[in-house]
Amino acid sequence: MPASAREDRRPLLRRIDRLAVASFSVLALLVGIYWVHQVLRGDDYARQAENNRQRSVPINASRGFILDRNGKLLAENEPSFTLLLYRRETRDVEASLRFVSTLLGRPLEELRRRVERLRGGYDFVPVVLDDDLSIAEVGAVEAHALEHPELVVQTTERRVYTQGTVLAHLLGYLGEASPEQLASRAGRVRSGESIGQRGIEAAYQDLLAGTSGLRTFVIDSFGREVAELDRLDPLPGNTLVLNVDLDLQRIADDYFRDKVGSAVALDPRTGEILALVSAPAFDPNVFSRRVTRAEWQTIIGNEDRPMQNRALQNVYSPGSVWKAFVAYAALTNGIPASETAFCPGFATFYGRRFRCHGAHGTVDLPRALQVSCDVWFYNAGRRLGVDALAEAARTFGFGRPTGVDLASEKAGNVPSSAWSQSVRKHPWYPGETISVAIGQGPLLVSALQTARAFSALANEDGALPVPHLFRIGEHVRSGARVAYRPPVTERVPFPPGVRETIVEGLWRVVNQPGGTAYRYRVEGLDACGKTGTVQVVAQKQAKMTHQLPEKLRDHAWFAAFAPRDDAKIVVVVFVENGMHGSSAAAPLAMRLIEAHLRPGSVPVPEPPAAPAPEATPPGGTTTAANGAGAPATRTGA
Amino acid sequence: MSRLADALPRRVDVPLLFAALALSAAGLAMVVSTTSGTPRGSLGGRQALFLLAGVVAAAFFALFDYRLLLRASPALFLASLLPLVWLPVFGPTIAGAKSWIRLFGGFQVQPSELARIATVLLLAWILENDDRPYLSTRTVAALVGVVALPVGLILLQPDLGVALTYVPFLVAALYLGGLRPRVWAGLVLAGSLAVGASWFVLKDYQKDRIRTFLDPDLAARGAGYQVRQARIAIGSGGIAGKGWKEGTQSRLGFLPVRHSDFIFAALAEERGFLGVAVVLGLYGLYLARGLGVARDARDRGGSMLVLLVVLNVAAQAAANVAMNVGVLPTTGITLPFVSYGGSSIIATWAMTGLVLSVAQRRFVNV
Repeated sequence: MPASAREDRRPLLRRIDRLAVASFSVLALLVGIYWVHQVLRGDDYARQAENNRQRSVPINASRGFILDRNGKLLAENEPSFTLLLYRRETRDVEASLRFVSTLLGRPLEELRRRVERLRGGYDFVPVVLDDDLSIAEVGAVEAHALEHPELVVQTTERRVYTQGTVLAHLLGYLGEASPEQLASRAGRVRSGESIGQRGIEAAYQDLLAGTSGLRTFVIDSFGREVAELDRLDPLPGNTLVLNVDLDLQRIADDYFRDKVGSAVALDPRTGEILALVSAPAFDPNVFSRRVTRAEWQTIIGNEDRPMQNRALQNVYSPGSVWKAFVAYAALTNGIPASETAFCPGFATFYGRRFRCHGAHGTVDLPRALQVSCDVWFYNAGRRLGVDALAEAARTFGFGRPTGVDLASEKAGNVPSSAWSQSVRKHPWYPGETISVAIGQGPLLVSALQTARAFSALANEDGALPVPHLFRIGEHVRSGARVAYRPPVTERVPFPPGVRETIVEGLWRVVNQPGGTAYRYRVEGLDACGKTGTVQVVAQKQAKMTHQLPEKLRDHAWFAAFAPRDDAKIVVVVFVENGMHGSSAAAPLAMRLIEAHLRPGSVPVPEPPAAPAPEATPPGGTTTAANGAGAPATRTGA
Repeated sequence: MSRLADALPRRVDVPLLFAALALSAAGLAMVVSTTSGTPRGSLGGRQALFLLAGVVAAAFFALFDYRLLLRASPALFLASLLPLVWLPVFGPTIAGAKSWIRLFGGFQVQPSELARIATVLLLAWILENDDRPYLSTRTVAALVGVVALPVGLILLQPDLGVALTYVPFLVAALYLGGLRPRVWAGLVLAGSLAVGASWFVLKDYQKDRIRTFLDPDLAARGAGYQVRQARIAIGSGGIAGKGWKEGTQSRLGFLPVRHSDFIFAALAEERGFLGVAVVLGLYGLYLARGLGVARDARDRGGSMLVLLVVLNVAAQAAANVAMNVGVLPTTGITLPFVSYGGSSIIATWAMTGLVLSVAQRRFVNV
């Protein structure tokens, strides 16, 4: 049936016309859709395209170094090598992990776990396989760069504390910012960034951190960098100079190697902290790497709590050290220095017998300080009442934080009748005043508070400076300096002769036969001090104190300053379960004073060889397994 | 429209030829832009060769009397099916499908594209022989059979995208031949059922594509990634585009198969809405001229031949353009004249040659 020219073409032409209408409608619709996306919403898509191809990565600023007052390096940074796995660059992640495991001897399980943690995330985000490669390992990995392009070594900086455990509590350490820290430092700290935790690192985070830079580069769809677009260099952090004297710090640290306790050395005139040691300590370098579970267990499993800064976070009864301030209360409340008491070895008040550690006969105030006679102070305390004692204590800064530039300082407790009513909900018993007069009872002070209070005794004008570690912050590039600005200094008002009387008593403690620290005097230092021994168990039970389990033995205090006139150093040493203030604490105090007043005269111990993997110094102090029932005086509240 | 056609030169339909050449040139430019400096940098040169071959094929078919081809179409059709039967059994697997026959010099032929030409001719021949207002049942059965045969063979490869490009042939043939409304209703119903049933036949990746089409956010990094990146490429082109070889989405590899299936998105990114409008306008011109030639063809067979070719090109172009912007699911349909691919280019040009042949002979013997 050949085609015929006579066929009726009209239906076909009609269909062609309809097709034309339909086709051009579709065409117009498509043009409209492209108009919407390209013209109306083009800017939005352009932004998305930019985000697609650009990545901005912060460049961490070098953290500022920390130096001691003589310019000795305490904290610096060293390059650290991180091994990254780019999953997109390998066909077989498992094979890459096996290669790393054999090459570097890392457990395959741990590597798998690290990959597993990022499963489900974008695969162009690299997995951190190891963040502590040695130089040799870096070389080994890079020698295989061609066969294993998925493995990349990234160089970052790691904080190094040159002195290991020696300045642990003072410097603090670095750790990843917690959610709370991110919130309180919004805009200044990025998620995942390491910031100062505790110590100077935390207190001066903003000065030390510097300003991070920003690198913007073009990437392809595999996340590989194609070209750098922009680079904003980071500004390194300030170098911090502290008041601490590394030599004194080392001497104190060495002394505490087998002890638990703390030591503080101040310049009484300014409050500059020359040394601040708390034992046991931890190695802050441990936190610069990823802390392993075992390391963390070692630290928190230690019942001596190495993370605590005992110099300011633990408060204790001051014991006989307190007598210096009771003396101030007596002298300023009408009890003259010449007033005597007779000490037969005990005294009876309110029908109860209070013991003295010896029979001192007739003693006046300087003599009472010198031999640490309890009976004189029992009598003075009974006449003064607890509120007069409390007022004197507050004048010397007890019962409130000192204002030191370290966080988490404890205020301690200064008991008074008002305190008894409001906190204990019962009246103050006069018998308690007798205990408080010799530094026992509900009275709690920190070593740092005690050092500050002794500064007021050491200073002729009674100045009560704020202890501080910060000396100078210096900008690395511009050299601009931020110096410590002391707040208005409080003063302890001394009526004429009062300070001199107390100082005479404290001088005799060290320099006259019969003084409780006379055995530990160093000729020519002209030191003044006061010993203290804090009973951990009631005296009745403590007949043979040397046979007591260590945890129940007395705590030892020694507070001192030197020289007698124009004092240049105040030292407070506290040894937990150290028995006698004189024997356990005084030797270190004297050594620190001598080292400070006669530079070079005291051999400075070398720091423990290389940052020890162990977080705590080995100590005999943790051996008392039966030291359950925490001693009453170690209240942390 | 006929008046416009009347005003054009008689021997060669210049506007249609111009549209085809301009589209091919735009395609070549985009293939070069998206591949130069990459491991696929040689594709631009190969595309130029394909175009040359395509134009030669078009010239051959334009000079040839299409009536001879129509008469020979049953034999041509059967011959073109032979490689399609051979492929699923013996063909080499390339990119997951047995769609290709390897030739000398690293070239490959896609028999499904060449079968397209024979199918067009046979469909036109069948329609020529049934000029009543409505098609007979026998003719309908013949049309369905002629399309179903190659489609079935191509699905065995499997190549869903190419198979789908045959569907417009059938719809257009039935429409142009004429069906009663109730027959249309029945066909639509049957077609819907077939589509529903096909869900159980589809491969998982094909289902994924349909799912992501229905909900692109479903898998922003999986199959939806392509759709999203293509749309970002298109949108970020703005009005004027980012410039030749400046498309970040395509140059940095965010855009998938950017020299082929998604070449239009690359064009939209680099040439902007203006470029999109020009290219779509060229398709419009090609379509308009095709319809004009069909109206003026001297016989029913010529009209049908031209209409089938032009509608096939237009439908493929519309589907690809819609797919690029995410209005249709990603199916692997290429953009005629523009996308990289030898068989597709040569087949499209050859069919365009058929249109030119009809146009040249429109007033002869009238």
